[in-house]
Amino acid sequence: MDYASMFSELLKGLLVSVEIFFLTLLFALPLGLLIAFGRMSKNCIVANIFRVYISIMRGTPLMLQLLVCFFGPYYLFKIPLASSYRFAAVIIAFSLNYAAYCAEIYRSGIQGIPAGQYEAAGVLGFTPVQTFFRIIFPQVVKRVIPPVTNEVITLVKDTSLAFSLSVMEMFTMAKQIASAHTTMIPFVAAGVFYYVFNFLVAFGMERLEKRLDYYR
Amino acid sequence: MSKELLKICNFSKTFGDLAVLKDISFSVKEGEVVSIIGPSGSGKTTLLRCAALLESVEKGDLSYGDLQVCVQGVYAGKNVLKDAKNRFGFVFQNFHLFPHYNVMENVTKAPLLVQKRDKKEVEEMARQLLKKMGLSGKENSYPCELSGGQQQRVAIARALAMKPGILFFDEPTSALDPELTQEILKVIRDLAEEKMTMVIVTHEINFARNVSDRIIFMADGYIVEEGEASSLVDHPQNERTKEFLAFISQKG
Ligand SMILES: Nc1ncnc2c1ncn2[C@@H]1O[C@H](COP(=O)(O)OP(=O)(O)OP(=O)(O)O)[C@@H](O)[C@H]1O
Ligand SMILES: [Mg+2]
Repeated sequence: MDYASMFSELLKGLLVSVEIFFLTLLFALPLGLLIAFGRMSKNCIVANIFRVYISIMRGTPLMLQLLVCFFGPYYLFKIPLASSYRFAAVIIAFSLNYAAYCAEIYRSGIQGIPAGQYEAAGVLGFTPVQTFFRIIFPQVVKRVIPPVTNEVITLVKDTSLAFSLSVMEMFTMAKQIASAHTTMIPFVAAGVFYYVFNFLVAFGMERLEKRLDYYR
Repeated sequence: MSKELLKICNFSKTFGDLAVLKDISFSVKEGEVVSIIGPSGSGKTTLLRCAALLESVEKGDLSYGDLQVCVQGVYAGKNVLKDAKNRFGFVFQNFHLFPHYNVMENVTKAPLLVQKRDKKEVEEMARQLLKKMGLSGKENSYPCELSGGQQQRVAIARALAMKPGILFFDEPTSALDPELTQEILKVIRDLAEEKMTMVIVTHEINFARNVSDRIIFMADGYIVEEGEASSLVDHPQNERTKEFLAFISQKG
């Protein structure tokens, strides 16, 4: 196998990895906010349900969650496994898992906003919804960017776990090429790609952080 | 006879086992400046916060003009509370400006979003207010770029922008250096001259004596003494008041 076709295979895989990455963020970031609200609910039954959810998502391996998401419907409900469901299962498992981590980050961000902000908004007559979206949320965004950046960088690398469901992302590709041609090169190349991918992600997040640097 | 803007009757408030307000009654007429003084922990902040609906009382009545906000510890519905919030402004000890908004936005957001007033009118008024506060040219600064005194003046402008009938101050200078304190006291004095109705919790006894019409002395959750400002400071009747004023003047 020549290098050109090897790289083109890897790049195809990279595309799938990127797809997993963005779809996960698309679902996990907002879902995390809802879970954070649930976790902070004044209703202690609701709060406990979300507490347990977060604890399970953080306390068990993501790889296991992937397998449960894919095989669960079959073992639990005897729904036949469609191969097309593989990719969806990956997105579902990643989103549910990452949303749990995001929820805890949001929660600490929200709880870190001084009570005075709510009070100032309250006496000015802002409704609770206005207070959250106009006053609290923008400040939370600024506070959570560093911890969210950590999660996002981990996510880039975690996309490789999709290989456990044989989704053709970059790591799966690299492994296949490597074993078919007994060569280390695809691994090295994949490593470089992951690194560059993460470098760009970190760069983007840093830019975002800088843009919110206009206030303290 | 000028009309009564705020009326509080028999307020009682507890935090757990601690009774913080005990049967507090007083009222404020239009154009009046009332100062509340008293030792630390006597319930001054709590009283102001209850009046501003930041805390709720267990017993008592609260009304803003014709608006009955609370009757015997039972609060009116959402709409009445919303109306009531348009009738007063609150200036906090620690300013509590919105850090992600610049000065102009801090002042204009609530009139625009809550009172739904015209953008041009609000911005024009905000500029006037900031000018009055000596903050012209700071419209686009962020709170973190301002001194404490400037921040507090923005906070006062923010409260005034809502055109409140009555303005509450909770120790507006306690977080400030002596120099900056004078800055804020001057602003409040100017407002008093314009007949702005104000209730001020303060430890600045001389200021209270000079600027207010009436002073209320609180201790242990009670109003111990209440009277015309200079006579209360110069000729206190109650032993607790005498003790407190002596202690304050001794401290400097
Ligand atoms: N949220 C709260 N929970 C429990 N206790 C409180 C709370 N707020 C105030 N207290 C208590 O109520 C009492 C009165 O407090 P308050 O802040 O009203 O006093 P203050 O007269 O404003 O004092 P200072 O001059 O120090 O500001 C204090 O004993 C205080 O510890
Ligand atoms: Mg106080």
